[in-house]
Amino acid sequence: MSVTTAPATAPKSSAAGGGRRKLSFPMILVVLACALIAVSAVRAITGADDVTSSGQVGGALEMAVPIGLAGLAGLWSERAGVVNIGLEGMMILGTFFGAWAGWQHGPWIGLLAGVVGGMLGGLVHAIATVTFGVDHIVSGVAITLLAQGATEYLAKMWFNTGHAARIGGSPKQSPNIASVGSITVPGLSPWLATVEKHHWFLVSDLAGVLGGLVTNLSLFTVLAAVLFAATYFVLWRTPFGLRLRSCGEAPVAAESLGVNVYRYKYIGVIMSGGLAGFGGAFLAMVPAHAYQEGQTGGRGYIGLAAMIFGNWRPGGLAMGAGLFGYTDSLQLRNGGPAAHALLLLLFILLVALAVRKFYRKSYKQGVAGVISAALLLVWFLMTSTIPDEFVSITPYVATLLVLSLSAQRLRMPKADGKPYRKGQGK
Amino acid sequence: MRRVTTIAAAGIATAALALTATACGASSTQSSGPTGSGKATAKSTMKVGMAYDVGGRGDHSFNDSAARGLDKATKAFGGTPKELTAKNTDGESDREGYLTDLAQAGYNPVVSVGYAYAQAVKVVSAKFPRTTFGIVDSEVPGKNVDSMTFATPESSYLAGVAAALKSKTGHIGFIGGVNIALIQGFQAGFQQGVHDTKPADKVTVQYLSTGTDLSGFSSPDKGASAAAGMLSHGIDVIYAAAGSSGTGSIQTVAGTKNAWSIGVDSDQYQDPALAKDKSHILTSAVKNVDVAVYDLIQSVHNGKPLTGTVAYNLQNGGVGLASSGGYLTGIMPQLNAAKQKIISGAIKVKSTP
Repeated sequence: MSVTTAPATAPKSSAAGGGRRKLSFPMILVVLACALIAVSAVRAITGADDVTSSGQVGGALEMAVPIGLAGLAGLWSERAGVVNIGLEGMMILGTFFGAWAGWQHGPWIGLLAGVVGGMLGGLVHAIATVTFGVDHIVSGVAITLLAQGATEYLAKMWFNTGHAARIGGSPKQSPNIASVGSITVPGLSPWLATVEKHHWFLVSDLAGVLGGLVTNLSLFTVLAAVLFAATYFVLWRTPFGLRLRSCGEAPVAAESLGVNVYRYKYIGVIMSGGLAGFGGAFLAMVPAHAYQEGQTGGRGYIGLAAMIFGNWRPGGLAMGAGLFGYTDSLQLRNGGPAAHALLLLLFILLVALAVRKFYRKSYKQGVAGVISAALLLVWFLMTSTIPDEFVSITPYVATLLVLSLSAQRLRMPKADGKPYRKGQGK
Repeated sequence: MRRVTTIAAAGIATAALALTATACGASSTQSSGPTGSGKATAKSTMKVGMAYDVGGRGDHSFNDSAARGLDKATKAFGGTPKELTAKNTDGESDREGYLTDLAQAGYNPVVSVGYAYAQAVKVVSAKFPRTTFGIVDSEVPGKNVDSMTFATPESSYLAGVAAALKSKTGHIGFIGGVNIALIQGFQAGFQQGVHDTKPADKVTVQYLSTGTDLSGFSSPDKGASAAAGMLSHGIDVIYAAAGSSGTGSIQTVAGTKNAWSIGVDSDQYQDPALAKDKSHILTSAVKNVDVAVYDLIQSVHNGKPLTGTVAYNLQNGGVGLASSGGYLTGIMPQLNAAKQKIISGAIKVKSTP
């Protein structure tokens, strides 16, 4: 967890950049190494090989990308000061339009259509919130409801008639979309697979994780990763980004310096819609091969949670999305036994946390940590699997835990969700 | 000024809604007259009300099968059917609302597709004693209720026999949509079929969602992940009883050499959406909901509505294995032997794992 302890009086730019400098590159590597050692230990002890298998990591990545893109969409909008609870609706537009163009013209045109569909949703949200000053939550909910209704209606007209219906379309589903290409790094990927098969402590785990990241990687996934890097660069390393973020922190001040706040908010929200649309199109084309009613399944909201988890920053947000994707994929691929192994991992994490709390002399929290760790260990030792009902809530429990442990450190953009009218500052 | 326009718009909208509501009310009272007073008039104006479960018409599976029955009946007896579909977020009161709406508007019979309607049918059927209600996959007491139950464990048993005979690795997968008694019946029959055929074979079971979270019946991406996990463990035959999530599993299996899928409810080999993957669909454990729905509508049409529990099983052809594709040809003798044993009672198929 990145430690962002920005003083309340700090100017915006240093508040955003301050936490970053503390977490240097070697530090990140150390944290990653520790995490890997903990996971390999869990694998070695429990024998749940799936915890670090390349299939699991690849599956987790595929589950994480739509959530991550939804979170990134939320980031663009909220950094510009507009709360975007309509992400779910914009994702639905992305799945629908992506599939509609996708089954006819191939996945790349489909992706474009999905992005444009999401952008339309974003445009509506921007008009409502920025120009007309509608409450952000109300507008967002309205967009989600509107998107659901509109796509259900259009699906009946476009997917259930003529040629579309003959090749498998229905009111609930589009015809199949051709697969988008995927890349496997030649040489490296098979070599990693052989190393993984030996189940060596740490080495095989590393090979599994890396293998999952370089094998059968969808081109859309690569594009999503590029978008993450690009977002970081644009928002934090360019004058444009500084201006956009200033609209989310102190729009009146930005206005006094000659920034056209309305324009930047529009850009932020429309970008947001486009990214959510990409997330939707990804869902329709990579894990499935068709639009399906209700396909988004609340991922827009989970994306927002991932964004909050990541403290409104791309790096943290990617971690949050990764966590969701990992637990999601684990429970679907392996169910009870693998989730059972996660109990042990949680135990290790809690012990580490307790030690840190003791080191910082906050004994109460330390004791609480030790007690919960002990309870977890007892649970782990007394059982060999976890009931299905618990397994399916793993991602949500993980979120609640992480959010409650790190909530005090989170800092949202200062003017996020606040109404802004031009000329307010006079 | 703006506020005035908003209020005016809201007023107009409310008035319009109220008008349509009263219009509905009027038509419903008119139409319930003839259906209530005598059965003789039912012949010319057959009004069938269908309430589908989540997924609805177009799920390429269970609901579609019911829809086929309805289409066939509409062709044979005419009339205008009314179709409603439940949503993932619907609660008990929403489902009761659908059935009440249909019954009130004079639809008879009112067919509810799916066990999730059981409680709603119980409540609503008591209020409309002159309307015949049908419920698929559940047993509801009542003089005017036709409970259509399917011996899906029996067809799943046969699917298990086929899986065991076709698997080379001896490791077989079962994907269930939602962890509930109905789907556990599929699992139990399937496991029994595998073990009776090859006692050493292993069956791995994975459910996609649990309890009241019915999303496992309509998430192909979840089905695909579960199947990918199973394939990576060396499983080479996967039976997915998971509504439209099963398509995800079938598509994933089709990407692997020498792996087989077993479809469910409808003959999924014939599904145009799966045309690309059908060379990997070994068979499907079909459940002829269409036959049951047609039987019910026909009985109401003839003035002698079916009531009580009507069981559809291997013996009367209500359930069975599809043979499209011809992949079962080599193992037909074993399958027929197992089928005969189930019909004669020599094999008792379990319905709980």
